[in-house]
Amino acid sequence: MQTKLATGILSTLLLTAIMLLTAKSVFALDVEALVRQVEQQYMGASSRAQTTMLVKTSHWKRSLEMEAWSLDRDYFLVRIIEPAKERDVATLKRSREVWNYLPKVDRVIKVPPSMMGGSWMGSHITNDDLVKANHIEKDYNLRLVEETETYFLVECLPKADAAVVWGKIVYRINKTPQVPEQIDYYDEEMVRVREIHFDDVQQIGDRIVPMRLTVLPLEKPDEQTILHYRELVFDLPLDETYFSLRNLKKP
Amino acid sequence: MLLTLAFRNLWRNRRRTLLTLSAMVVSAALLILALGVFSGMFRDMLASATEQYYGHMVLAHADYHQRRDLFAHLDEEIASRYISLEDTEIIGISPRLRSFGLISLAETSQPVEVLGIIPEREKRVTSLQTKLVAGDYPSDMVRNGALIGQGLASKLKVSTGDEMVFVTQAADGSIGNDLLIVTGIFATGDSRHDNNLVLAPLQWVQQVMVLPGRIHEVAMTLADPMLASLAADRLNPRLPGDVEILDWGDLLPEMREVIAAYDVSRMIIVSILYMATGLGILNTFFMSVMERTREFGILMAQGMRPWTIRGLVLLETCILGGIALAIGLTCGALMTLYMQQVGIDLAGYITPVTYAGGTILPRLHAVFEAGNFYVPAGMLLLVSLIAGFLPANRAARLDPVQAVREI
Amino acid sequence: MDLVRLAWKNIWRNRRRTIITLAAIAFSIMLVQALHNLSFGVYAGMVDSGVRAGSGHIAVYRNNYLESRDEILHFRDGSLIDDISQIDGVEQVLPRLYIPALAQSSRESRGVLLIGVDPDRERQVNPFLKTLPADGMIRSTDSRDAVIGARLLDELQIRPGQKFVVTAQNEDGSLHSELLRVRGVVNSGMKDIDSSLILVGRGRAALLTGNSGSVHELAVILDDAGREAEVHRQVAAKLSKDQDILAVSWEEAMPNLANAIKLDYASQKFIFMIILLIVAIGVVNTLLMSVMERMREFGVILALGSKPMTLRCMIMLEAIILGLLAAAIGTVLGSLATWYLVAVGVDLADLVPETLEFGGVVFDPVMRASWDPVWMFRIAVYVVCLTLLAAAYPAIKAGRTTPVEGMRHH
Repeated sequence: MQTKLATGILSTLLLTAIMLLTAKSVFALDVEALVRQVEQQYMGASSRAQTTMLVKTSHWKRSLEMEAWSLDRDYFLVRIIEPAKERDVATLKRSREVWNYLPKVDRVIKVPPSMMGGSWMGSHITNDDLVKANHIEKDYNLRLVEETETYFLVECLPKADAAVVWGKIVYRINKTPQVPEQIDYYDEEMVRVREIHFDDVQQIGDRIVPMRLTVLPLEKPDEQTILHYRELVFDLPLDETYFSLRNLKKP
Repeated sequence: MLLTLAFRNLWRNRRRTLLTLSAMVVSAALLILALGVFSGMFRDMLASATEQYYGHMVLAHADYHQRRDLFAHLDEEIASRYISLEDTEIIGISPRLRSFGLISLAETSQPVEVLGIIPEREKRVTSLQTKLVAGDYPSDMVRNGALIGQGLASKLKVSTGDEMVFVTQAADGSIGNDLLIVTGIFATGDSRHDNNLVLAPLQWVQQVMVLPGRIHEVAMTLADPMLASLAADRLNPRLPGDVEILDWGDLLPEMREVIAAYDVSRMIIVSILYMATGLGILNTFFMSVMERTREFGILMAQGMRPWTIRGLVLLETCILGGIALAIGLTCGALMTLYMQQVGIDLAGYITPVTYAGGTILPRLHAVFEAGNFYVPAGMLLLVSLIAGFLPANRAARLDPVQAVREI
Repeated sequence: MDLVRLAWKNIWRNRRRTIITLAAIAFSIMLVQALHNLSFGVYAGMVDSGVRAGSGHIAVYRNNYLESRDEILHFRDGSLIDDISQIDGVEQVLPRLYIPALAQSSRESRGVLLIGVDPDRERQVNPFLKTLPADGMIRSTDSRDAVIGARLLDELQIRPGQKFVVTAQNEDGSLHSELLRVRGVVNSGMKDIDSSLILVGRGRAALLTGNSGSVHELAVILDDAGREAEVHRQVAAKLSKDQDILAVSWEEAMPNLANAIKLDYASQKFIFMIILLIVAIGVVNTLLMSVMERMREFGVILALGSKPMTLRCMIMLEAIILGLLAAAIGTVLGSLATWYLVAVGVDLADLVPETLEFGGVVFDPVMRASWDPVWMFRIAVYVVCLTLLAAAYPAIKAGRTTPVEGMRHH
C-alpha cells in the first residue's frame, strides 16, 4: 500500500462532519466549550451515507461509489458499490482493529498495525485515520485567533507531549451557515503540509452539512482526494452487532 | 646427441630422478589444488551475492534500484531491443515485475516482495531452483503458482498446495488482490530472502498490478561475472537516457569491497604457496645437481666443454620439469575435480553465512580456472631451470680437478 | 650421546642443503603462525564489536525468544542486572526491549522495530553509538529522546530535533502512541542498520506496550572473552527457574558471526595443511637424498659391526634435530612477525571502505594480530612430528641395507 499522508484525516472528517451534522447549538465563542459539547453530541450518533470518492494522483485517477455506516467513533463499515471491478470490497473498523473483505478471492484479511500507515482504498486517507479517533481537545490547545463578519479562525496547537505529528491545525469555520470551510495542517516548522476544503453545503433534516470534502496534499500539487456525500441519514437503529465480520462479507 | 645423453643420465640414476620428480609432482599438484579451492571460495562468494537474486547485471530505470518506485516500469520487450544473444557473453536474460504487498492467511499477514518472472528465463539467471526444500519451481502450467521462502512458509504456517491471498496497491490505484497457490518452498539461509521473497509467474503479477506488458527490470547473467562492469559500460551507451544497466558491483557495493579484500589475502597466501613450493623444488633440484659436481668434473676432465655441461643440465632440467609438469598437472587436475564435484561439506558444522549482501554455503570446493594451471606450470619450469642451472653453471666453471674432488 | 653428536655433525656436513631445508621449514612455520595469529586477532575484534552491538557475550532470554522473536516472551529483570553485574568478569549488562511499531511523521510513515535501552549503559558499550556527539544520546530511560538511523530519518522526512509519533499494539490488542523527538542520528554505513534503527529509553518504550520493568533480552558484556565459560555458569546460577529464563552464549545468539568465523577457519586449516604437506615433501626428499648419498658410508659402518638399529636411530636423530632447529627458528620468526602484526597490523584502508560487513558485523580495516601461543606451540610440535615421519622411510631404507650392498652403492 503506498503511504500517502499522515494521521488525523478521516477521523477529523468524521468528527467535523458529524459534529456539524449533530450540532444543534449556535457556534459559541468559547471554542473549548463548543468542541466539548460537540464531542458529547458525537457520542451516540449513528449514520448511513452514500458517497463518491475521487482520487487523483500523479499516476492515475479513480472514482469510487461507496456506502458507509458508522456508530460513535468506534464502529465503521464501508462497502464499495462502483466500479464493478471492486464491487463489494469492504472495510470494517471495530475500536482499533481493521479488516478488509476482498470479494474477488472471497477472503477477509486483518490489517496489521504495521500497515496502518498505508492509504485506505488508495486515497489520501490512511488506515490509521480510520483507527485513531482524533481527540482534538485532548491533544491540542484551542483558541480563537481571528473573527470576521463571515468566519471564525480557530487555532489548535498540540499540548506538550501530545502524540500527534502536526505542529498546528487551523480551522476556518463559517458563521452562517455554521459549517467548516477549511482545515489547514502544519508540520512542526509551521510549513503547511495539507488542506481540507469543505463545500456544497446542504440541509439534511434539521442540520446543515457540507457535503463535499477535498483533501489536498500540498507537496504534491496535482494530487487530491474528493469525498462527496450523495445521501445522508442519521439516528438509525444501529448497534454494535451490525458491525460484524459476517456483515463485512454479506452484500 | 645431447638429448640422448640427457635421457640416459636421468635413467641411470633412477632413484634420484624419481625422488626429484616425486617432490616436484606432489608440490605442484598440491599447489594447483590449493589454488582451485581458493577460486572455489571466491566463486562461491560472488555467486552467493548475485545468483540468488540480483543476477550479474540489471537493466532498469535510473534510480529504480534505490527507490523501487512502482511506477518506474518498462516495456516488456525492452531487452530484446537493445540486447541480443549475439552478445554471446550474456547467457541469461530475465524480465521481472516487482510488487510489494501483504500475504494473508486467516488472521496472519506478512509483508512480502513478489517478483513476477518467466520461469524458464529466470532459471538461467538465478538459482533458487537449486534451493528447493519442498515442491517445485513455478511453471507455466499453474497460472498462480508461487515459490516462497521457508521463513515465510513457517510464519504463515503453509506448505505446498496451500492457498494464500496477496494484496497490493495496483498501478491504477485499485486494490490488487488474488489467490496464490504455494507450488514450492525454497531455503537459501539468508533470512532476507527466506522471510520475504515470493516468485510468481510474470503474467499473473502483471494482472494483479494492472500493468499488462510491463516490467520493472531485466536481470542478466554473464559467462564471466568479473566482466560485468565492462559489459555494462559497453551496453549503456545504446540505451535511452532514463534507462541504465547496473552491474553487481553497483548493486552490492559491499560485495565489491569484500572481493577486493579477499583478493588481497588470496594473493598473499598464494604467494606463500608459490614460495613454499618453489623453495621445495629449488632445494630438491639444487641438491640433485650439486651432487653430480664430481660427475661433471670427470666429464670435463674427459674433455666435455663447459657449455656442453650447461646444455646437458638444461636439457635434463627441461625433461624432468616437463615430465613433472605433465604428471603434476594431471594429479592436480584430478584432485581439483574431486573437490569440484564432491568437495568437503561443512554443513553439519556450520550454517550458511551472510557476507556483505550475499550468502556463502558451508562447504569447501574448487573450480577450474586456466590461470590455476598455467601459472604454476610456468613457475615450476622457471624454478626448476634456476635450481638446476645455477649449480651446473658453477660446476662448469670449476676446475675439473676441484670438481672431481667434491663430494 | 655420541650418537647425538654424530647426528649433529652429519647434518652440517652438507651445509647448503641443511640451510635451505631449515629455511624452507622455518619460513613456512613463520608464515603459518603469523597468518593464524592475524586471523585470530581479526576474529577476536569482530566478535567483540559484534557482541557489543548485538546480544553480548552471554545473552539472557525467556524461553525460545531467540528463535521466535515473539514479543510476548518478556520477563521482569528486577534485580537481575545488578546481580549479574556483580559477577567477576562482567563489564556491563544491557537491558533491551524490542517493540514492533509504526513510526509516523507529518509526511510519511514506516514500520519499525523500536529498541528500549538503558541509555547510559548502552552508550558505553554499543559501537554504533560511538560516533554520536556528547549531547547526541538519549538522556534518561523515560525521556522522549530517540536515536535513529540516518536512512530512516530521511525516509520519514524529518530532521534531528524534530518530533515523530510511534504507535504500537498492547498485549490486549489496543493501540498506544507516544511522542518522540530525534536526539541523535546513527550513520553506520550499513544499509540495514541505518534504515531500521530506533533506540529509546526503556521506560518510554515500556509505556507503549504496558510492560514496565520488563525486558526481552539482557546482553552481558565481559571484560575478557576468554572467561566466557565460567561466567556463563555463574550467570545461569543467578537465573530463577520459575520464570523460564535462560542464558545463551553468543555463538547461539549470533550464529551468523560464529559461522562466518568457523568457515574462514576451516578454509584456513585446509590451506595450512597443504602448505605443511608441501614442506613435508621437501623434507622427505632432503632426508632421502642425504641418506642415499651416504649409503656407501653406511655399508662401511655396518661392516664394521654397527647394528642396523643404531643407523636408524641416527637418521631419526638427524631428522629430530633438524625439525627442532627449524621449529625453534620458525617460531622465533613467527613471534617476530606476530609482534609486528600486533603493534602495527595490516592496513587495508585503501582497498576497503570504513564499513565492511562480514557475518553481520562491521570490519575494522586495520587487521591486527593477537597472540595464540598454544596454537603456535602446537604447530611447532606438528612440524617436528612431521619431520620425524618424513625420516621414517629413509631411516628404514638405511637400516635395511646390508654392508655389501651399501658399499657397492655410488
